[in-house]
Amino acid sequence: MPTIEVKRDDLESLIGRKASSIEELEEWLMWAKAELDGVDDNILKVDVKDTNRPDLWSVEGIAREIKGRLKIERGLPQYRVESSDVEVFVDKKLKDIRPAIACAIVKGVDLDDEAIRQLMQLQEKIHHTFGRRREYVAIGVSNFDKISPPIYYKAVKPKEIKFPPLGYDEEMTPAEILEKHPKGQEYGHLINGFSRYPILVDSKGEVISMPPIINSNTIGKVDEHTRNLFIDVTGLRYEDVLTALNVMVTVLADRGGRIHSVVIHSPDGDITTPDLTPKEVVVDANKVREILGVEISDHEIVELLKDARYDAEVATEGKIVARYLPTRNDILHWRDVAEDVAISFGYNDFLPEEVRIGTTGELSRRELLSDKIRELMIGYGLQEVMTFTLTNKDVLFKKMNRKEEDVVKIANPVSSSWTTIRNAILPCLIEFLSRNTHVEYPQRVFEVGEVVVIDPSDKESGTRTKRHLAIAIASSTASFTEIKEIVDSFAKQLKLSFDYEETEDGAFLEGRRAAIMLEGKRIGVMGEVHPAVLNNWDIEMPMVAAEIDLEEIFRVLK
Amino acid sequence: MELERNEALVLKAIVDGHEYSLGELVEKTRLALPAVVKAIEGLKKYGLVSVREEKSSEYSLTNEGELSLREGLVERKLVRELIDAGGNKKVEDIETQPKEVAIGWAIRKGWVRIEGEGKEKSVVLTDKGKEHAETPDEMELALEKIRKGEDVDRKILEMLRKRGLIELEEKVERFVRITGRGAEKAREIKEIKEEITALTPEIIRTGKWKHAEIKRYDVKDPVREIYPAKKQPYRAFLDEVKRKLVSMGFKEMEGPLIELEFWNFDALFQPQNHPARTWTDTYRLKYPSHGRLPSKKLVERVKKTHENGWKTGSKGWGYKWSEEIASRLMPRAQGTALSARTLASLPEIPGKYFAIARCYRPDKLDATHLIEFNQVEGIVIGKGLNFRHILGILKKFAVEVARAEDVRFYPDYYPFTEPSVQLSAKHPELGWVELGGAGIFREEVTKPLGIDVPVIACGLGIDRLAMFKLGIRDIRYLFSYDLKWIRKHSSIITL
Repeated sequence: MPTIEVKRDDLESLIGRKASSIEELEEWLMWAKAELDGVDDNILKVDVKDTNRPDLWSVEGIAREIKGRLKIERGLPQYRVESSDVEVFVDKKLKDIRPAIACAIVKGVDLDDEAIRQLMQLQEKIHHTFGRRREYVAIGVSNFDKISPPIYYKAVKPKEIKFPPLGYDEEMTPAEILEKHPKGQEYGHLINGFSRYPILVDSKGEVISMPPIINSNTIGKVDEHTRNLFIDVTGLRYEDVLTALNVMVTVLADRGGRIHSVVIHSPDGDITTPDLTPKEVVVDANKVREILGVEISDHEIVELLKDARYDAEVATEGKIVARYLPTRNDILHWRDVAEDVAISFGYNDFLPEEVRIGTTGELSRRELLSDKIRELMIGYGLQEVMTFTLTNKDVLFKKMNRKEEDVVKIANPVSSSWTTIRNAILPCLIEFLSRNTHVEYPQRVFEVGEVVVIDPSDKESGTRTKRHLAIAIASSTASFTEIKEIVDSFAKQLKLSFDYEETEDGAFLEGRRAAIMLEGKRIGVMGEVHPAVLNNWDIEMPMVAAEIDLEEIFRVLK
Repeated sequence: MELERNEALVLKAIVDGHEYSLGELVEKTRLALPAVVKAIEGLKKYGLVSVREEKSSEYSLTNEGELSLREGLVERKLVRELIDAGGNKKVEDIETQPKEVAIGWAIRKGWVRIEGEGKEKSVVLTDKGKEHAETPDEMELALEKIRKGEDVDRKILEMLRKRGLIELEEKVERFVRITGRGAEKAREIKEIKEEITALTPEIIRTGKWKHAEIKRYDVKDPVREIYPAKKQPYRAFLDEVKRKLVSMGFKEMEGPLIELEFWNFDALFQPQNHPARTWTDTYRLKYPSHGRLPSKKLVERVKKTHENGWKTGSKGWGYKWSEEIASRLMPRAQGTALSARTLASLPEIPGKYFAIARCYRPDKLDATHLIEFNQVEGIVIGKGLNFRHILGILKKFAVEVARAEDVRFYPDYYPFTEPSVQLSAKHPELGWVELGGAGIFREEVTKPLGIDVPVIACGLGIDRLAMFKLGIRDIRYLFSYDLKWIRKHSSIITL
């Protein structure tokens, strides 16, 4: 979720009212699904929870939303778009590279430091979240007064042209920018697979920007003296770039800018951007009443929608037509509108209603049986522990003196310690004990938990999540007999009968290890832990251990 | 004052007025030394005996001294090694350790000499060395004498001390004599019954206990701390949460730890380019990397819902849905995946289901973040459920699970519910805490899964409550690797 910083006095001045307390301000922010994460004097750190509404990721957008709920300004926000004679020509070679572009001119802006900071913050949040790290949307802001229209959105070869990228005086080719410029290194992967790169130039051939990487250091540069801005938004889909452009220009208009449109000549036809024509949605009022559980009239719904910055009217009885600013593209379904009605109504003004559905609750069978097994283990004087299931092959195999087996492999581990999910619990139990060698012995522990094994017979994932039981006892008198007594007694308590056979397992001492068999099937292993394993873990105390696959037991138990 | 049996025994033993050492008293009373010491402390407190202390110092053997006494000094070991080698050996081949000390002292005692230079340098046994091969020298004799407490020449003592074979030990010897009051008291003591420290089957069978006194315990004496085997504290907490949910009529759901992205995201209407699905926010598997999607019919519905809304009344996300992405495998990232699975497998309607699901997210592991965690997930399926029911369920959770005194609801956002709510609860001790989120599943989620009635979904954030209940500030202690802490921690956990 986007976290933004806003100034309290700036927010209050945009709303047109001062909050009496920080608590009141917090309540206001909730209308914009925004949560106060921190307050430092005048600076508010705000988490905007809706990752689908870029129109709320700026102080201007939040203020617009709050003004409606405070009834300071209701209904559809009004913006004037004047036309201009500026044209942008789109190269058809961009079709498979980065085809979508929308542009606008905003004149007469007088941006103070805070407004510039907000603009850059919004740009960054849109890039990151809405634009999926610039892949879907990248925004360029440049000085319109230095641009000589018409403008060309072209595809150039990596070494075809040279220009100084933002922050540099030296001229570089696009290929050099991808290699040397920090932004080129960060976002180069979005275009370096193509034989040509997108570029935006004016009629004199001056470079404005190289989307989605960087602006030029000449006409693509903006400072506090810039009064007239040229905004370009490029991306993969026309719908996304237009929404992002609409968000940008309305924010600038809230700061006093005048929006002028641009004509885009694309291979698919001509369009004029930005386009602030309201979007329309038709809502069945009965469904809204039903899902919210309140008896509100059609008219009341209309009024609540106006608080949520919609224009709305009752078309026919039970049918409401609502129009909203095309800075939103999150309204996919009538339910999205119903939520806005609920927010205007006030979440805490609804009367909570108890669900009267008489059902019988129950634990799953595996969990019920697991609980019984845990009880038994505690009865044997074993302390329950819970270890992490994320681990690595070193713990599972190398340190255990075991042959490596196939286990799941995480593609993007955050640390070499957590590269897989365990296929056995015992290694994790021994790791646990290795961290407690200074603690009083004897140490007797067990865990009932999940493991994941590779199982091609599984139809969906080719893996199986199983429940295992593992026991480890470290004490100066630990012996094979002790662990066998527990395992055998465990079987009898479950009214089962285990058989024991000699087995191979490097984790245990030869001659003091056994496979645990149930109805002819191997379900586990037990024995005296091999001193080599104890040495690997720096444990100096003799240890016996067992691990049992509980799935077979669950299957067999009546 | 009532004397204890041991006190009476000691007092009777010294009634003749002589002065006795503790050793003598152990012999006379047949009590163990600690019992004698304890009895004297008691008697002294009552003023029945006087105690005189005599301080003295004496040499005793260090561990190394003991070893030298048993096996001989290192220079003697060197002599033995040389005899085994035929009288001489290269310095670099000498095995006796520490080599330099052994050779040094052997030369000093005239038992060996050095011949040759550099690599050829060797140790040669002298005639004197051969002579002394098996007869203890004065140093070794001294060690034995010190062990017995006999006198030893001061010069040798000093040498042994410098070699770290002996050390000076301060000793306090105590002598006890009866006082006038003590003598008076002793006269009052008539009979001292035989005392029993521990009952045995024999004592019970023979009835011997009738004629004996059973040793009293000081009930205020501290005892060793022992720990019961019990549930892991966090598990004990989770068990309570489960119990509560079951009592509220919820049935438990189960599912695999390795999920298809289809269940974790696509079935929940999270678009395939959603930020939560990126490399940095969710784990993916390299092996096995892809699984097989469920039934064609279901996949087709989900695909169409993402692309154009299918029959859900939605516009859809308007992109080309990829089977490849949906079939990628991942460790489960949200418990909601289980709800999607349950909804797709003909659940009871009306019905209530819950899960405490282990989930994974690529994060750092520190005092406030876990790399794997448990999510409490609940769904309620039923005709006519509405927004007010979400609030009702959340309120009930807050009261039942967190003993909340008050609740507040806030707008929230989840990709799979609309409308969505966040629950803030006023806990009697923690104050206002965010306890979870909920909403009604979008129709884009329920309809493709074959559910035509509203489904309320809630996720409870219970880890903060767990930390409070367990009295911990470091979230890693939920999965504690500290056995001492687990042993000491009470498992009596109530919600």
